[in-house]
Amino acid sequence: MLSDALEHLVAGVVDHPDDVSVRHKQLRRGRLLEVRVHPDDLGKVIGRGGRTASSFRTVIGALADGSVRIDFVDVDGR
Amino acid sequence: MSEADSGAVVDDDRDEDQGMSKAKRLEREGDVAADYLEGLLDIADLDGDIDMDVESDRAVVSVLGDDLDVLVGENGEVLEALQELTRLAVVRETGERSRLMLDVGAYRARRRAEVSDLAKRVIEAVRTSGESESLGAMSPFERKVVHDAVAEAGLQSSSEGEEPRRYVVVMPPV
Repeated sequence: MLSDALEHLVAGVVDHPDDVSVRHKQLRRGRLLEVRVHPDDLGKVIGRGGRTASSFRTVIGALADGSVRIDFVDVDGR
Repeated sequence: MSEADSGAVVDDDRDEDQGMSKAKRLEREGDVAADYLEGLLDIADLDGDIDMDVESDRAVVSVLGDDLDVLVGENGEVLEALQELTRLAVVRETGERSRLMLDVGAYRARRRAEVSDLAKRVIEAVRTSGESESLGAMSPFERKVVHDAVAEAGLQSSSEGEEPRRYVVVMPPV
């Protein structure tokens, strides 16, 4: 559910919604959601001073029980 | 749609109104926001009805339901974040900046009533004492409620401090 919710929220604000994907990873220290976006959209999802990224984290954090880390990378990122 | 106020003299043409009327634009903002929010409610399996309105020149979208506290959060922080994202979704679709206001579970309506009451008490106190008074930290929305009440009462106010600790100071009339 969290991955789908995050994918929906991100896809709604970017110019290349089809390039958005979210991968869920279980780390030793908790969950990680890795969001991949088109390179041109990376700045947009992070926002000025990280403001947009922080909004995604706040909303997803509220829907999650327990802590979730969210990373944003562009589709070329490895 | 807005035939009702067609008799008024240029009352809603502050911005460049090319092509689409302001009312139409605000309606479109509401539609985009509603789609974005409905998608989230579906995925998160939350029950909510979406209501759209226009209030003093801005689109207001309210998600109504009994069990939506999760989308409000402590001091409305989740609501503010969701409003921010919803505005971005609107900008993506319309290409124009949005001042859309989001409410969830009538949280803002409730806060508005509480903050208005507080503002009234502070206005009285400042009138009586002739001394400025500082209020506690508030969100931009809550500060606006205070500024509006103060202006209506004929007093002065300003915001000081930095977010998220920004607060209103109410001053006696000059």
